[in-house]
Amino acid sequence: MRRAGLLLMMLLMLNACAFSRGTLGDEIKTDTVNSIKKGTTTRAEVLAHLGAPDRLLQLNGRDLFQYYRYDAKVGSLLLILVNFSRVSVKSDDLFVIINREGIVEEVIASKRTENLEFRFWPFGD
Amino acid sequence: MWHKIVSLPLLFTAMVLPSLSGCNVARLTINTPLTADAVGFITEGKTTLADVVEKLGAPDSITDTEVGALVTYRFLNAKYSRVNFGWLAKPWSPVDPDLVFSRSGMGTDAFELLCDTNWVVTHQAFVRHRPEPPFTPYPF
Repeated sequence: MRRAGLLLMMLLMLNACAFSRGTLGDEIKTDTVNSIKKGTTTRAEVLAHLGAPDRLLQLNGRDLFQYYRYDAKVGSLLLILVNFSRVSVKSDDLFVIINREGIVEEVIASKRTENLEFRFWPFGD
Repeated sequence: MWHKIVSLPLLFTAMVLPSLSGCNVARLTINTPLTADAVGFITEGKTTLADVVEKLGAPDSITDTEVGALVTYRFLNAKYSRVNFGWLAKPWSPVDPDLVFSRSGMGTDAFELLCDTNWVVTHQAFVRHRPEPPFTPYPF
């Protein structure tokens, strides 16, 4: 009963809602990441599948290709008395380590943006 | 008697609600903030980077060092709150007065791992492990 009352009160005070989103970089597809095999895939194949890396580093004589994508979601609840808003940003990162022979030695990847949601409530986790 | 009962809530409403009118509460999070418990499974000299990636996901950066690689996880938890007490005077003022109290807190942090050439974690530490910033608009 109290929750229903609170919800009704919030609805009566609702002024506006806002949702916006921003992304940086191309999507890193899971199929593409899975196609890169340690010990067999070559540097040329990596470049053919993913294009030039966003960052290229040297790591103890090996090449480190880094690909990334950022996703930001903003939710705002604009009440007459008070405004709540929350910005959530997460990234997908892919690191491909290529040895001196030009073969993939290690692949490190994760997709954090899959679980990214629009949220407006700023409290809690 | 009923005048007193009605007038007190009305007075309270008239004084308190306008004071809340200019309230804003906002929060920015980048990635999932890591805690000491979340990284408690890492044992220096035993845990590999593959184990860490399996639980925490890919890091934000990997850089070269003389003894191996430096792996960094970055995250941010920023809070902002604002109250405009100028709203209290709005009904009686010919101008639009503002008396704003606001405060923001940044919990910028990073978790770093030093790995040897076999990708075994040799050292781990939080760069700046700050306490959670509160939602309090009082700036003093």
